[in-house]
Amino acid sequence: MSETTPDHDPPRVNEQKLTPAELKKRAKAEKQARRAAQKDQKPEEEGPPPAAEPANGINGESKTPQKNSSAPQQQQQQQQKPKAEKQQKAQQQKPGKQGAQEAEPHHKRTGSQQMPLRRRPSQSGAQPKAPVKTKKDNKQVELFSHLYTQPRRHTIEGVSKDVHPAVLALGFQISSYEICGSSARCVAMLLAFKEAIQEYTTPVGTSLARHLTSHYLSPQIDFLKSCRPISESMGNAIRWLKKLIVEIDPSTPEQEAKDELCERIDTFIRERITVTDQAIAASACQQIKNGSVVLTYAKSSIVEKTILEAHAKGTQFRVIVVDSRPLLEGKRQATTLMHAGLEVEYVPFSGIPHAVKHATVVLLGAHSMLSNGCLQSRIGTAAVAMHATKRDIPVIVCCESVKFSGKVALDSIVLNEVAPAEELLLPSKPTPSRPAPKDSSEDEAEAKPKTLEDWKDIPHLQLLNLMYDVTPAEYVRMVICEYGSLPPSSVPVVHRLANEGM
Amino acid sequence: MARSSGTPSDFNIVQTYRRLLAEDEELTMPVAAIEALIEGLANTPASTVSETLDLVQKLTAQLKQRIPNSISLSAGTDLFQQYLISNLQRPSDRGDFDQIRTHLVQNGKLFVERAKAARETIAGFGRHFIRDGDVVLTNGGSRVVGSLLRSAAESSNNRGSIRFKVIYVISPNKTAEEDESTANIAALRERDIPVATIPSTAVAYCIDQVTQCFVGAEGVVENGGIVSRMGTYQIGMLAKAAGRPFYVVSESHKFVRLYPINQHDLGIEQDVVDFKTSKGSVKDDGAADVRGGDDEGVADVEGTERSGTKGAISAPHEAVDYTPPHLISGIITESGVLLPSAVSEELIKIWF
Repeated sequence: MSETTPDHDPPRVNEQKLTPAELKKRAKAEKQARRAAQKDQKPEEEGPPPAAEPANGINGESKTPQKNSSAPQQQQQQQQKPKAEKQQKAQQQKPGKQGAQEAEPHHKRTGSQQMPLRRRPSQSGAQPKAPVKTKKDNKQVELFSHLYTQPRRHTIEGVSKDVHPAVLALGFQISSYEICGSSARCVAMLLAFKEAIQEYTTPVGTSLARHLTSHYLSPQIDFLKSCRPISESMGNAIRWLKKLIVEIDPSTPEQEAKDELCERIDTFIRERITVTDQAIAASACQQIKNGSVVLTYAKSSIVEKTILEAHAKGTQFRVIVVDSRPLLEGKRQATTLMHAGLEVEYVPFSGIPHAVKHATVVLLGAHSMLSNGCLQSRIGTAAVAMHATKRDIPVIVCCESVKFSGKVALDSIVLNEVAPAEELLLPSKPTPSRPAPKDSSEDEAEAKPKTLEDWKDIPHLQLLNLMYDVTPAEYVRMVICEYGSLPPSSVPVVHRLANEGM
Repeated sequence: MARSSGTPSDFNIVQTYRRLLAEDEELTMPVAAIEALIEGLANTPASTVSETLDLVQKLTAQLKQRIPNSISLSAGTDLFQQYLISNLQRPSDRGDFDQIRTHLVQNGKLFVERAKAARETIAGFGRHFIRDGDVVLTNGGSRVVGSLLRSAAESSNNRGSIRFKVIYVISPNKTAEEDESTANIAALRERDIPVATIPSTAVAYCIDQVTQCFVGAEGVVENGGIVSRMGTYQIGMLAKAAGRPFYVVSESHKFVRLYPINQHDLGIEQDVVDFKTSKGSVKDDGAADVRGGDDEGVADVEGTERSGTKGAISAPHEAVDYTPPHLISGIITESGVLLPSAVSEELIKIWF
């Protein structure tokens, strides 16, 4: 017995948060597992645990039926007193639970799934894991489970020693949204890589072209990925850089090669992002006419540039910035535009239908343009585009070709990024006041009505903080990139031309 | 083409363009623009690449400024400029500048011939879209649609099996445009094809008996939409609403680097909507979409040069509208039948 107790301990720590249904399910699973364990115990326990088990083992061997009734109770009482109480509660909630359990097809199915497992000798090992797993998945939305990566890295702990300090700093800036936005992240990454490359020395016995990418650049990239999933533009830039490195002639002196790389990175930033932004802004601001009402969503540096350029040209127009939580990026954009002397209207997400009523053109930035013409951008963009299209207001996307992607998405489920759910909590709640009473007296804390802050303790509540959504191609009237204005259907052509042909 | 050489100012590109169009009825506007540019090139002694390009640019600007609806011709001038840029600026060709120039000047006619031949190719592609018992709806005096329908009529005569009818949408006003459609109608009737003529107001009334629509275009814009005679857009909408295929018939030299996002974004001034009170026209300057500097220039030139005919410009039959790509089932060109989305790809191929 004593040897099974520690196995059960970890789940018990977390178990207050389990939902009744899960409790029920788990109770059943445990019951079955216990039964299985008792049957398997004898062969297994003969070896290691001599102290508590021998009697039990002998009992079980001689009279199995008796053990089925007595030993489980014993286990339940000894190992899981608090849990047992919970289980009872859960059972009381559903009258006739024991009978229903067998009758309900769902439970029967889980039961039948575990039945064969029961015979396996490894069962006792798997037994504590099952509840742990349900616990973990509890707060993750099942449909998006493929998007949950390890939590974003905010500490230097466990980072490979190869990671360059510049990249380290960048990683934390990215994970804390200090540097946010696809292009900004891409530029910052390339600049950090430039620094890192300058401090790289090729080990003896290998060449820069062969060693740099796989042994030096990869840990940097992996680190950045652990801070926040990388964007499409970063992916394209990395692909370009890797190709560039491979193409370096091995006979080139190291310093020369590194200088060459850095120079090419500078050129890349200039040609694919800086100058491109200017070209796009110049072309896009022609869509803003006198008397226009420009609607934007959240923040895009390129849209901001376009609006400022149109304003500098002397065009008389008005801007509506629609914004949404949790990042409230539009607030910054609205402030910038306001300071530039523009007439800005700041509308919450719920005010889209109203805002769209007055708009004459919708300008959107992009996270990435997908090959089927869909736009991947900050979550909420699709709703804005849909409302605009319904009123036949042109939706124009400004996007550098470096953000064009060869991927295709039909929905926002497959390709997306899940941000920490805590970001959704309202920041207005004075967080320090909450834990204080909780620590002092638990009863008081329990008596208080639960708020969203306690979402982890609230059964059946999951928070999902997605970063992007996909706007269907038919909602996008025009994509402005450095190659000119395109219909969304031409995205793959330009992608091939710009990102794969280089 | 042999004219006394002189400075660019001596050469009047606009007159040449108008003369070319008047001389040859079969000539389309982009081709006439290219021919006019070639003539301009032949008439001016440009000796360097940049001088040539500069000259072409200047002539193009002149032409665009003086012709009220420059969309169609700009397809030709853009194409010509791009051709020059890609051929003259290539380092290997730099030495052969004079050769290229003489080649260009001498072969101006060849280009025109090819453009005309394209029409026959298109008719060859397009006539397979017409089947026995079809009722085809068309409008305007497009030469390429006319040749397509004639070609279909002839092939039906040869085989003696394909019979189709044509509903021709004609504008009520007696204009030069109507003469073209009259010629098309006469040609079809001569070939035993029954033709009905209806005013544009009757399109919705008879859309249920129409099996498909064919329209011509002044320009095919980057997103696959078309700029065409006023009234085409509504035919497109009605065809879409009724689920009838709506085909555009156009030579690929009419592909133009223009991307209108709506009807008012064509870059030309059209006084179609003219609010009036008993005192006269109401001009609300605040809300009127005033476009970039160039276009204001166009308006001024028009105002001074053609003030007498101002009324004619605003008349609906000379005006154009823009049909967005989602209404178009296919674009029949000499290089094949394209989806609207393929136009942008073709243009990217030319320009990059």
